[in-house]
Amino acid sequence: MNRRNFIVSSIAVGGGLLLKFENSLGANADSEIGNFLRVSSNGDVIFHFVKHEMGQGVSTAMAQIISEELCADWSRVKIDLPLADMKKYNANFDTGGSCTIIYQWDLLRQAGAMARQMLIQAAAQQWNTTPENCYAENHMVINRQSSRKIGFGQLASAAAKLNPPKEVKLKTSKEYNIIGKRKKAILVPEIVTGSLQYGIDVKLPGMLYAQIERCPVFKGKLKSFDATNALKVEGVKQVFTTKPIAGLQTLTPYMPHDIREGVVVVADSFWAAKKGREALIIEWDEGVNGNLSTEDFEKLAQQRAMHRTDPTGYTGDENAVSNVDHVRKTLRAQYVFPHQLHSCMEPLNCTAHANPDGCEIWMGSQAPNLIVTELARNFQWKEENIKVHLFTSGGGFGRRYYPDMAFEAAYISKIAGNIPVKMMWTREDEHRCNLGHMFQHMEYQAALDKDGKLYAWYEKELRTYTWAARYHDPALPTMAYEIPNVRFDFEDLIADELVHSSAWRGVIIHGRAYAECFVDEIAADQKKDPYEFRLSMLSKDRDVHVGDGNFLSSKRMRNVLMLACSKAGWGKPMSAGRGMGICLYPYGGSYVCTVAEITVTNEKVKVDRVTVALDCGLVINPLGVENQVTGGIVWSLTALFHGGMPIKNGRVMHSNFHQNKLLRMDECPEMEVHFVETNDEKPGGVGEISSPMAVPAVLNAIYAATGKRIRKVPISLQDIIPG
Amino acid sequence: MMDLKINNKTHSVEVDPTMPLLWVIRDYVGLTGTKYGCGIAQCGACTVHLDGKAVRSCSIPVSAVANKNITTIEGLSANGTHPLQIAWQEEDVPQCGYCQAGQIMTAASLLKDHPNPTDEEIVAGMKGNLCRCGTYERIKKAIKRTVKK
Repeated sequence: MNRRNFIVSSIAVGGGLLLKFENSLGANADSEIGNFLRVSSNGDVIFHFVKHEMGQGVSTAMAQIISEELCADWSRVKIDLPLADMKKYNANFDTGGSCTIIYQWDLLRQAGAMARQMLIQAAAQQWNTTPENCYAENHMVINRQSSRKIGFGQLASAAAKLNPPKEVKLKTSKEYNIIGKRKKAILVPEIVTGSLQYGIDVKLPGMLYAQIERCPVFKGKLKSFDATNALKVEGVKQVFTTKPIAGLQTLTPYMPHDIREGVVVVADSFWAAKKGREALIIEWDEGVNGNLSTEDFEKLAQQRAMHRTDPTGYTGDENAVSNVDHVRKTLRAQYVFPHQLHSCMEPLNCTAHANPDGCEIWMGSQAPNLIVTELARNFQWKEENIKVHLFTSGGGFGRRYYPDMAFEAAYISKIAGNIPVKMMWTREDEHRCNLGHMFQHMEYQAALDKDGKLYAWYEKELRTYTWAARYHDPALPTMAYEIPNVRFDFEDLIADELVHSSAWRGVIIHGRAYAECFVDEIAADQKKDPYEFRLSMLSKDRDVHVGDGNFLSSKRMRNVLMLACSKAGWGKPMSAGRGMGICLYPYGGSYVCTVAEITVTNEKVKVDRVTVALDCGLVINPLGVENQVTGGIVWSLTALFHGGMPIKNGRVMHSNFHQNKLLRMDECPEMEVHFVETNDEKPGGVGEISSPMAVPAVLNAIYAATGKRIRKVPISLQDIIPG
Repeated sequence: MMDLKINNKTHSVEVDPTMPLLWVIRDYVGLTGTKYGCGIAQCGACTVHLDGKAVRSCSIPVSAVANKNITTIEGLSANGTHPLQIAWQEEDVPQCGYCQAGQIMTAASLLKDHPNPTDEEIVAGMKGNLCRCGTYERIKKAIKRTVKK
């Protein structure tokens, strides 16, 4: 049997999709139908999943999309994680920005439909009839006239020999059997038996373990170290500095790293490496941050917030808040969202085995493509000599987008003598020497006219993470309210940051969502109900341009606002010490409204219930989306009650979970998610949309319950005695 | 040399007696279902059973477990048939999944002590286990599911 390869370009959407079709090697062998699908001889359909599953459910949702068009039996669909091959899969590997489903939507449907049409064609040939006389359903091709059926497994080899179709016919949403259905996450059976392998579980023959003692102060340097005692620890093999890779960066401007100077201990076990580190004697040059604290930085941010810079964007009059002809009253407030830790449950790690020409990498990564290009560039290896084994991860949340762990592991493997090394961060390393969520200081001003209407809105964001660039387009506050004059200013604080900033789930939105608290302050000043006040400013159907090519639909904002408040029972009588608060926000084409209901007793806040209304377009997996949204609420409540990254003398003070607390089961409220009915034919993204939302909603609820306005998290640092 | 009884099998290991049981299980015996999360018994990802009772293996030196029956997630049942493992699937509990072995092992031990737990007893028993993805509500539901049966 000749092996023939057909390479076809699909209808190019968003970069195109290359499908490579191969003959099978025998009647009972598996058949590759395109790079993304394999049909095994027993009929199982294996979807080669090359994006990153980190708990956001994207592997299940992507499998649903491709299976729908394929007309597969969902119970026969499995996924595997192939070796990352940038050419073969030709699909952007990187996973982030709540973008995956949005960008993969067309590609996956086309891939599934192509494979379906080839299976149909194979059956038609076998029955000596036309493809039009056949259809696919539930893992079978059926002959319309004779009602005969053949299973996918039996057709796969024949299908793989055919020319891929030039055009595909996609299903309409009315025909969906798998998309839109509540499907359990596809990897759960492996998770509950402990058999799912994460990057941290890798074991290779001859593998050693490495831990790095990194400088505890950002921008500090390694002055000297003495490894004499460390090398005496049983199991310790080598000790050397990682100075040569400190400060290495990727080419992409928005991915600055913080690879610190440090000393690595290579040992025959995690435990020996840990004990070896403890025996190191190290002198640090702490540098510019050595005597600085969080309070110092907050003061700096506050000072910088005071002076006016040029607007980044505005509508109407850029100086409207100062226009005495119109303005009768101005309100002003400052809000702070501090640095935060990702605290992925799987600590950061990477296993590497370098060789003279390249490197093999084992790592749960949101961007294996970056690992390939950046290791190649920085170590002078050829890209094709860098092999990345893909893994799901125990949480990414943006931190696993950065390939710095791969830099560290590859370097250690190389210097140690091209041996396989598992480089692990301890949880203490994760707390003390890590990237954090950006620091955000928000300045708000509102101007009211003689009728008490909101005439002007001024918003200035100061933050430590800029995507290494200013905003390109004129940018405006992310809101769809009808306010005649809106101005957005921006200043970056990156030069003065005390820890390096990074993407942390909802990225810039965590601080910017404080706008919803300021909206509440205006409503309170005008003695207006927070729901009615918002509604009154969303009465018209408008597409609001907010910069960066994004448009907000005021109608969709209004819909989620009304649904959430209706389901939450907004307006019901609340006893003393109880209150409700709203946060209404868009993200990446989706819209969400969160209503928090709380009780305050003896200065302690208990969140009783959180109601969420969501418009994310076509919902691929309602069960998966609910899990993402409620998980994001828990994320948000952690930042509300706990978290932060307090710094003293340049050092992060929290070392582990006893100090940097995460929300626990006893602090978890009841949560419910409601979907806005939509005729949308396209899906939106939901990875990050709910993670900022509970903070403003609960802060607004605290005001409703106590009259106390809190403008900074965590509230554990605040006094919430009713004011 | 030490003999360890894990999931009804004896494993001979030669390790530093102060090494926490967690690392022996993962790196020497090769059972990686038990996870490292914090190393200081704050997160519960490392939970195993010692003679049927849940303990945090990151904080127990291997020298202390010589004569105990150790059960890891891999040994909780044959083929994932423990009622909790089934309930975890029925409720679609996990997201990233990293904490879930520890959650299940803690829950299994809790149910031995409290076969018919109240909500308060479930929360008290489970709150030592962290979940960064926030699956707490479904964990509670899954535990209650097994009790109903």
